[in-house]
Amino acid sequence: MHFLVYLWLFFKASLFSTGGTGNLPSLHDDLLPRHWATNRQFAESLTIGQISPGPSGLWVISLGYLTAGVPGSLLALVAITLPPLLAIGVRRLYQRVRHHPSAEGFMQGLALSICGISAVILCILLRSNGISIKSLAISIAALSLAATKKIPIAVILAIAAIAGIITF
Amino acid sequence: MHSDIETKVISGAGEWPRPTSRQQMLVWSRLGVQSFGGGTATLALIRRAVVDELHWITAEEFTTYWALVLMVPGINLLGLTVLIGKQIGGTKGVAIALFGLLFPSVTITILLTALYSKVQHSHSVVSALSGVIPATVGVGLFTSLQIAFPVLKNCTKRGAKSLTIALALLLGSAAIEAAAHWPVVAILLTSGALGAATQFAGAPKRDRQK
Repeated sequence: MHFLVYLWLFFKASLFSTGGTGNLPSLHDDLLPRHWATNRQFAESLTIGQISPGPSGLWVISLGYLTAGVPGSLLALVAITLPPLLAIGVRRLYQRVRHHPSAEGFMQGLALSICGISAVILCILLRSNGISIKSLAISIAALSLAATKKIPIAVILAIAAIAGIITF
Repeated sequence: MHSDIETKVISGAGEWPRPTSRQQMLVWSRLGVQSFGGGTATLALIRRAVVDELHWITAEEFTTYWALVLMVPGINLLGLTVLIGKQIGGTKGVAIALFGLLFPSVTITILLTALYSKVQHSHSVVSALSGVIPATVGVGLFTSLQIAFPVLKNCTKRGAKSLTIALALLLGSAAIEAAAHWPVVAILLTSGALGAATQFAGAPKRDRQK
């Protein structure tokens, strides 16, 4: 494994995406064919990212650790810290490009695409973990609970853990 | 830059004595330690601290910053942290904010992962994960929908044609990801370009539709 390539893949995924898990499609696309990560490691690091403090985007720190140890997680940290610095420049440009139709259209096309691709990848992750009536029921229940926006994500995952232990 | 920016924070909330570097570090690292439960919890905690408790920025500024960072690549919460840090302490404030928030939370994330690597084969962990992983997928699907939802709402207001284009981009991206082997960046950029082109064509002054 080349650490520069590893850093570049994480950086590229973060630079061409937005949101904490927007980099998921790109990383999945790049790491899997190289056998640098497995579907299982993706699912596990997403889970740890939801539980641990800070942005859920820190899931890549966990992915870095699972795939390349502490150096991997530090490279992932560098990769996710740099792109948000562009916020300073964007704030300066804000007044000028905010209402330009094609800029707005580009951002919207990006958001729709991220949603579609992420949904497919999440379904692949679910399938790699084994699809059953139980797992589908837990997914749908968790989605519904998240949609209420009133229950902390950590609580939803704790309930799911208990459900998993009881029904195993 | 104002000369008095050295000593005061000027925001819509009024003028406040500028917090010292130590005070800034304490606030951000407290947030980094406490915000268990991912992004939703972190956003709520940051808002409560910098708007309601410390009055570093106003609620309106917070909303504007959040809207802005949604257009910035990478983790939106880090973009928000950068903007608040910049307003409170300039470039040094940005460094303090990022370090303060990330040092504890990244350390805890690494420790949790290491702990997980040790116990991942134990029966109770395997059975708990059989519930947690599907739940993470469910929560993740909702987060993805939340990204698209404001866009779909906006397009519904504009009319059936706009909504059709939006749904085509969403479902088209999903279909290409599921069936073809395009690099993801290619799908994203194509969708963005199509979004830009169709918006461009729909703009009243620059109708270039063929």
